[in-house]
Amino acid sequence: MSNLALHLERDSALTLSQASTGCDFQIRAVDGPACRQLRDIGFCEQMRVRKLTNGRNMLCTVCGTRLALSKDLADQIQVIPA
Amino acid sequence: MSSSSIEAHIALIGNPNSGKTTLFNALTGQNQKVSNYAGATVSRKSGQFFTPHGHQFELIDLPGCYSLSPNSPDEEVTRDFLLGDQKGETPPDLILCVLDATQLERHLQLLLQVIDLGYSVVVALNKIDSAEAQGLRIDPTSLSEDFAVPFVPLSAFNERGIVQLKQALRFPFPSAPGRLWKGPAELEESIALSTKVAEEEGLPKPEAHGIQRIACPEDADTEAEKFIVKKRTEFIQRAVEAGLQRPDDSAQDLTDKIDAHALHPIKGWFLFSGIMFAVFWTIFEFASIPMDWIDGAFGSLGEWVTSKMNEGDFQSLIVDGVIAGVGGVLIFLPQIVLLFFFISLLESSGYMARAAYLMDRVMSKVGLSGKSFLPILSGYACAIPGVMATRTISNAKERLATILILPWTSCSARLPVYVMLVPFLVTGSLSQTAIMFGIYAVGTITALLAAKFLKPRLGATEPPQFLLELPPYQKPQWSHVFHQVWERAFSFVKKAGTLILGISILLWFLGTYPKSNSDDPVVQQENSAMGRAGKLIEPIVSPLGWDARMGTAMLTSFAAREVFVSSLAVSYSADSDEPESVRETVTNAKRSDGSPLFTPLVALSLLAFFIYALQCLPTTAVVKRETGSWKWALGQLGGMTAFAYLAALAVYQIGKLIGYS
Repeated sequence: MSNLALHLERDSALTLSQASTGCDFQIRAVDGPACRQLRDIGFCEQMRVRKLTNGRNMLCTVCGTRLALSKDLADQIQVIPA
Repeated sequence: MSSSSIEAHIALIGNPNSGKTTLFNALTGQNQKVSNYAGATVSRKSGQFFTPHGHQFELIDLPGCYSLSPNSPDEEVTRDFLLGDQKGETPPDLILCVLDATQLERHLQLLLQVIDLGYSVVVALNKIDSAEAQGLRIDPTSLSEDFAVPFVPLSAFNERGIVQLKQALRFPFPSAPGRLWKGPAELEESIALSTKVAEEEGLPKPEAHGIQRIACPEDADTEAEKFIVKKRTEFIQRAVEAGLQRPDDSAQDLTDKIDAHALHPIKGWFLFSGIMFAVFWTIFEFASIPMDWIDGAFGSLGEWVTSKMNEGDFQSLIVDGVIAGVGGVLIFLPQIVLLFFFISLLESSGYMARAAYLMDRVMSKVGLSGKSFLPILSGYACAIPGVMATRTISNAKERLATILILPWTSCSARLPVYVMLVPFLVTGSLSQTAIMFGIYAVGTITALLAAKFLKPRLGATEPPQFLLELPPYQKPQWSHVFHQVWERAFSFVKKAGTLILGISILLWFLGTYPKSNSDDPVVQQENSAMGRAGKLIEPIVSPLGWDARMGTAMLTSFAAREVFVSSLAVSYSADSDEPESVRETVTNAKRSDGSPLFTPLVALSLLAFFIYALQCLPTTAVVKRETGSWKWALGQLGGMTAFAYLAALAVYQIGKLIGYS
């Protein structure tokens, strides 16, 4: 990937808590103290996720499963629009 | 069935809520409890079954886990078992991996990790009917080829595909497929080295330890670990591309529609409170009908025995001891049945996880997470499974705080006491329901406040995290609901027939002997062993408004709370010559000056004591086992009892001051 493309991608990356509801995203990176726990439950890199609600605990679906997660966990997931 | 004919051991593993326990029951014909929320299997269970080829296998049900990097004590059990590190267990010969077909991509991670350990694996592709209903198209043949292990589509709930699964468990088992991905030379070298080290350490399954130590090292997030996660995800995505087609589902399904209300920050709470209130109201309203039957039946039984037997000590033992004691507890069977019916109904339908989601907001205010809510909720049935269910809480301090406060959620053993006492406060089923609701709320609120007080003192600093799977709503599995109710009802009746029967007989003896020469029953009672013990304890309990007999009844209730009702029934039934029902006995009980004993204020003081006292020695034993120390277990017992005493004291004394009686 060229440098420009990398920059563009980084700019469009959001954390899951910043992402808007009702949209589909792809997980770019999972980084932070809880990354193992997040990957275990299904928030793996490359996976597609749909954000359903905002709030202190947000709801989203990963591969057809509804998951609820707190904001500090959602902050550790970086997504790009799918 | 002798265990010597078992030819192989199969371990059942899978993600939480993948239908593992249902499959275990379908294969072995056993009836373990099934819940529709993560973490139902928290300890190891095993059973046996035959394949169509006539081989007999032992099936071991392991706690559900998302991966082999454990986040909580119950997940550790599974990992240690697979690595052969579990003491007294040999590693299994084959792994039966249960995957939820509706969540295939997520669950394939665990499968890949198990294959990496070097096990032979058969995959049970569960909930295939739900997957079809959702429009998912899954190709088991393609998946079998990619993962080099058989995939058997089935529905454990409808017992579809079970025979095919048994056929796939061909013995002797096929050899393990081995690792399906290759890393760069450097990584492969370090895996080989790690395996060699494990071999030299003399560990069982060295190759499994070898890969596990690299893929899931003690210090999280190494480059190697990241690389392996990436490799595995890539492998799964390639396999899924060929083997799975998902419909483009932008439409809302029924679960989404219900959740829009059930998880709403305002409507959700109304729904939650409404459901809870309806449960208590039903318990009060409908249980009274069968309760009257049971009460009447024991009353007539007493009369019949009195008329058939000669007057004397033996007649008194049977009527005042056995019938009054056992009948006094059995009368509460309808309540227990209804309570457990509703708890398992809510679990089975999937609503419990929503309740946990709502409660997280409240729990976080006291430093706990919604994860602690599920064990606390089990505590309403019985503190023991509740304490055991805390194993799903990953944070050790949060777990300890939850264990310590858990017995303040009112368990079902308190129900008989509450039901006996509430009618002294108010009449009418609606107001009684309101009081009952209040009792449960008071216990819960105090428990949460105690958590807020305890958690920082236990040294917990980090904020709790919340991560929970919300299973789709489903029709309750009636057979499991009824089985669970039956099991609880049976164990309640068994307790009445054994422990409570024994204590009732003992109490009768203590209340009757040694005999005095006087014919006055009051003098006789005072002369008996129990009367003397009552005199000793009276100065301690009289500030609470209790008389000596309530004090002794309270002492006996430390064996089991329900005994309190029996004790009262046995000791006060000596006062009257006519056999009568428990409620009449207690209502007619009088102080020596002739005033009624059970005034609303005394009932309130007793309620305060029973809400807070930890009168259950089995709970103390389980807390010792789970926390690994007598310090916490005994501290909890002492602290809760002292708190209960002070609460009852405050209620009675303040009540007297403001003129409530």
